[in-house]
Amino acid sequence: MICDECGRPATVRFVEMVDGEMRLMRLCDECASARGIGLSLAPLAGPLVSMLMGLLEEVGAEEAAELQGPVCPGCGLSYKDFRRTGKLGCADCYTSFENELRPLIRRIHGSTRHTGGIPSKAPEDVESIREVRRLKLELEKAVRHEEYERAAEFRDRIRSLESTPRKEDGDGNV
Amino acid sequence: MGTFEQMLAMPPSWLDASGPTSNVVLSTRVRLARNLNDVAFPARADRTGLERVRDRILAAASAGNYLGNALVLIMDESSKAQRQILVERHLTGQEFAEDGFGRAVIIGDREIVSAVINEEDHLRLASLRSGLQPMDAWRLVDRIDTELEQNLHYAYSSDWGYLTSCPTNVGTGMRVSVLIHLVGLVRSDRTAQILGSISKLGLSVRGFYGEKSAALGGFFQVSNQMTLGQSEDDIAYTVERVAGQLVTLELEARSELGEKGGQEIEDEVHRAYGILSSARIISSEEMMALCSSLRFGITEGFIDSVDLATVNRLLVSTQPGHLKCFDGRDPGPEQRDRMRADLIRKELASGNGV
Ligand SMILES: [Zn+2]
Ligand SMILES: [Zn+2]
Repeated sequence: MICDECGRPATVRFVEMVDGEMRLMRLCDECASARGIGLSLAPLAGPLVSMLMGLLEEVGAEEAAELQGPVCPGCGLSYKDFRRTGKLGCADCYTSFENELRPLIRRIHGSTRHTGGIPSKAPEDVESIREVRRLKLELEKAVRHEEYERAAEFRDRIRSLESTPRKEDGDGNV
Repeated sequence: MGTFEQMLAMPPSWLDASGPTSNVVLSTRVRLARNLNDVAFPARADRTGLERVRDRILAAASAGNYLGNALVLIMDESSKAQRQILVERHLTGQEFAEDGFGRAVIIGDREIVSAVINEEDHLRLASLRSGLQPMDAWRLVDRIDTELEQNLHYAYSSDWGYLTSCPTNVGTGMRVSVLIHLVGLVRSDRTAQILGSISKLGLSVRGFYGEKSAALGGFFQVSNQMTLGQSEDDIAYTVERVAGQLVTLELEARSELGEKGGQEIEDEVHRAYGILSSARIISSEEMMALCSSLRFGITEGFIDSVDLATVNRLLVSTQPGHLKCFDGRDPGPEQRDRMRADLIRKELASGNGV
């Protein structure tokens, strides 16, 4: 179950009346508390949350009407199933559902770019791919600020990295 | 290697109140979520796949320095009571206590490091330290991770980092959780406001036993929400900084309470101590509330015949699953409340620590 507001895993389900019509909402703790439903503290909201959860259980019918969406060839999971469970099936799901996941991940994390550790068994060019991406952002920024000398520096470094297929200096901290 | 019983006989080191700011922070936990790149995530993998994952991770762990001598529990062979104990000791989540294929847990000396296999992800590595020390806990779990990945091929993408079953963990796969005692803020009615503002900083707040548990006795878990887009060091640092601010606010609230109503507080904490050291029947909710007052009394200098570590240990050793196990059978709720009271009296009588 995914929050209708922000895409994080939802914990609260409830019925909202909009213009005299019942509408099912699924919200995470934060979005629920932002609307004054429950508290920002999920633990304290225990009884309240379970009361709200109890209000509506016929989610299945509503969601059956939704389209199946793409299916991951790696594990057979449909995007629709992912929306229901909040869990992906395999590593390939990240590429199979890339278009759907990108905005979702942005909403969850405020970012779609990993800047943390790299496993030692990662493809060896991962380090330079990330460096190139970082340099391209720097380049854009430099151009925006009309710092053309800096921009040229970035451009040259990007070129040299892109012409070297493999770079062997990764210490894991970029 | 050790046995489950030997593990139980030694209190976990994260309860020993030796770490920084232990008067407010009980413990810090850092966990990393990892998956192998060629088997579906646990929710979608079949039994053979899950057992293959388990055996590969166990082999990698047994070859390493950190988990090589650790206790290995194969869940198919463990009892429901044992699994409940793992939950109560914060080693696994409640879901893991249910049935599932290929599940195993590796537990290092004094429960400082652990690995949970085939929970939501193939592997969840954790380190659990006393007091507030996110950086230390992160460095430790990172060393184990680095050692394991020599022999394991993790699911990883250059865009999205470590790939996890739930996209809320993708990226670093890192969750830093601080178990914090905010008795002063709760009493000053300031928790809702302060913890509410914490969620705006990208941190989330839960109860003593995770997602759904009530924040009994003013014990909360504060953890980072975002796992992608920041480095591991930055995540650890953010949690350390925000938790450090909470500690400051909490200490202010405690001393304000002491100034305003010192005698009432002195009376109340001694009453709590009195009940704990003489009652014959205590429920686990009452235990949490009384231990919260007792901790408060100790840190504010009203009570000096008990130390913090003793109270910390009671929070875990008097949970239902633990009381079940001490005499080998399920005592039932009424008998359990008596056993809890007996254990508390015994521990408090033995006074300072073990
Ligand atoms: Zn939301
Ligand atoms: Zn898949």
